[in-house]
Amino acid sequence: MSDDLVKILDGNTFVVSDSRGDIEASMTDPTGLFSFDNRFLSTWVLTVNGERLNPLSVDDLQYFETRFFLVPGTGTVYVDSKLSVIRRRAVGDGFHEELTILNHDEQPADLTIRIDAASDFADLFEVKDALEKKGRYYTKIDKKQLVLGYRRESFERVTTISASAPVKLDKKGLTFKVKIEPQGSWTTDLDVVTAAGAGGTYARPKYQRGKRQARPNMERSLQRWIDDAPRLECDWDSLKATYRRSLVDLAALRFSPPVSGGGRNLPAAGLPWFMTMFGRDSIFTSLQALPFTPELAATTLKALGDWQGSRVDDFRDEDPGRILHEMRYGELTAFEERPHSPYFGSADATPLYVVLLDEYERWTGDRRLVRDLEQEARAALKWIDDYADLMGNGYVWYRRRNEETGLENQCWKDSWDSISYHDGRLPGFPRATCELQGYAYDAKVRGARLARNIWKDSAFADELEREAADLKRRFNRDFWVSDGEYFALALDTEGNQVDSLTSNNGHLLWSGIVDKSKAKAVARHLLGPRLFSGWGVRTLAEGEGRYNPIGYHVGTVWPFDSSFVAWGLRNYGFKEEAAQIAAGILDAAEFFEGRLPEAFGGYERGVTKYPVQYPTACSPQAWSTGAPLLLLRTMLGLEPIGDNLVVDPVLPESIGLLALLDIPGRWGRVDAFARGRVPPAPLRAGRRSRADV
Amino acid sequence: MTDATAEFFSALEARRHEPLLEKESGTLRFDLTSGKRTTRWLIEIEKGDVSISHRNAKADCVVRAKKALFDGIATGQQNAMAAVLRGEVGVEGDRTLLVRFQKLFPGPDGEKS
Repeated sequence: MSDDLVKILDGNTFVVSDSRGDIEASMTDPTGLFSFDNRFLSTWVLTVNGERLNPLSVDDLQYFETRFFLVPGTGTVYVDSKLSVIRRRAVGDGFHEELTILNHDEQPADLTIRIDAASDFADLFEVKDALEKKGRYYTKIDKKQLVLGYRRESFERVTTISASAPVKLDKKGLTFKVKIEPQGSWTTDLDVVTAAGAGGTYARPKYQRGKRQARPNMERSLQRWIDDAPRLECDWDSLKATYRRSLVDLAALRFSPPVSGGGRNLPAAGLPWFMTMFGRDSIFTSLQALPFTPELAATTLKALGDWQGSRVDDFRDEDPGRILHEMRYGELTAFEERPHSPYFGSADATPLYVVLLDEYERWTGDRRLVRDLEQEARAALKWIDDYADLMGNGYVWYRRRNEETGLENQCWKDSWDSISYHDGRLPGFPRATCELQGYAYDAKVRGARLARNIWKDSAFADELEREAADLKRRFNRDFWVSDGEYFALALDTEGNQVDSLTSNNGHLLWSGIVDKSKAKAVARHLLGPRLFSGWGVRTLAEGEGRYNPIGYHVGTVWPFDSSFVAWGLRNYGFKEEAAQIAAGILDAAEFFEGRLPEAFGGYERGVTKYPVQYPTACSPQAWSTGAPLLLLRTMLGLEPIGDNLVVDPVLPESIGLLALLDIPGRWGRVDAFARGRVPPAPLRAGRRSRADV
Repeated sequence: MTDATAEFFSALEARRHEPLLEKESGTLRFDLTSGKRTTRWLIEIEKGDVSISHRNAKADCVVRAKKALFDGIATGQQNAMAAVLRGEVGVEGDRTLLVRFQKLFPGPDGEKS
């Protein structure tokens, strides 16, 4: 989507407008007011005396609040610069807009101020796929409010618009006739409230008319959120800006699943398409953010546990123990034209659930949550053996059972052509991609630790460890491409290797499934010319049949992916290599003013000089937002060992001094310092307790 | 005549203890209407121990639906969450209780969890 669009959001309600604050959406265009996957306003256009306005500037006050400074007239010549128009907009359950017009003239101004309003009530899926509506629209004027509605059987969505100043309402909008005295001003509050019909979950106005202070739904204010996170001190200004941007965006992407209730916030996947709960994205982001905001992991684990699969349902690709892939609330989901209520078609979220639970405990020492979620974790581990092994040969496989609207590729590289052989052919189904085996291995190893230390079930722990060791042994035999010295992307149903070279090798290092003897060769590939672009690690290596530097999962660089590659390199002792990847991604962040996109082109750094953004990339996106956080962790070499945080920094040359202060965890709060390049020996963290931890 | 809703609740009552609800303590009431008649099912959960009655008592979570629809949910022909999104099932109070309880509904092939 275009960069000059202005986006504000609160939970999964968001407004996307142009730089004038206007909305003129078409069925295929992601502008408008959206809430719970439905569009509630598709037209919102302000004119003064019949003229559109011109933007002077936009102030992004907060992620949920913005201010547009405008003057009448179109084009570059201002027809009447004696007027200023200010629209201050805050998103809530709908949005609140304070519209102010200032008359700078010595003459009074007689003005007709008009706002055109309409809604197509499109489901987000319809906006993505341009589908027809099946219900009926209505519009009415009711108690000084303009009511826009849509009804399909018992499904109803309503937008109510009202103003504080005297207004003439018609079915297409609001008209104000005002006289503004010389040097005077006029103001109205506009309330746009979204609501669902019978049985709906979100039918109350958020900002009452005249309340000037926006209050986002999230339980903690942005300032407290930032104050609670560790403080970064550094001689590289860009990194400081990127860090702050990441924290702010992560706060903005917090999302409280409406049906789960309890005011729990977990990371949604990204704006605009993915402001909802995703198993994989929420887990990866929580892992990245653990040293900074561990509460995201706790809420992710609880919410995903609440929705854990419990039955066999082919339409939703649900199995007992499976962790959901994606939840949606819109019309198409309600009428089961889409399976997202929720949809379970992901093969990685379930093992990653156990990985996150263990990593969370290692950082926080919150044994209670691990005990509370024992049943869910055991069910997830059982899913790996009972439901994911579709070929009965001890590997995790996927094949959708919902052939119509289910996902073909149930791994993070989920586009249709992401899994290919070296010669470009696509394998049949089911498919066993390599990183899934790594995650399953890690889930068993970590599950064993939890079983032994917390659930006090050493027999189960022994069993998991035996299975993990067996999986590792078979994996290193079956997936290893010996002439290329890397791991194949997948196995096909014949047991043949899907032999292209991919960034997935880095995830394998992260999981620990790689034999030590093979790690060096893998690391060499990850930093080699075919995979490493200079900015980050390409999803698919140059020279592979389907390689395309701007192919979604076949050549672009994903900051999230590279951050896990760096973590993997660290885990096998490749500290300098991890720092090199961190440097590339953090350099790239500078070009995006600290907000890394979902993906950028896989072009060689020396050729383009700047990272080329992938055309339709979603931004901000949670796991891109989390990437700088995880890279900080890997550069500093932060690792919980027992009740201590070990700090073992290796910084890229671009950083002279780096301090991360007040890192929360089972140790209370500690500081980590790093200087220059390659300190000779591991440093111990300075330990400091705090009463409030 | 078989009554799918009654069968579902009596099977749950017969189990007495439901492992999937072991962390729950609270009450759920299903108010199911057919024509003008409303049948209430009050589910009292105490750490997974379940007791069921028709008492019209206050509950932490109240779920309202047509009996015919609930028969579909109880046999796996209808999905509870989609019905909530359509506005065919109304929920008041602690929605988390319903999220956890819905795990007990069977899949489309009638398979029990």
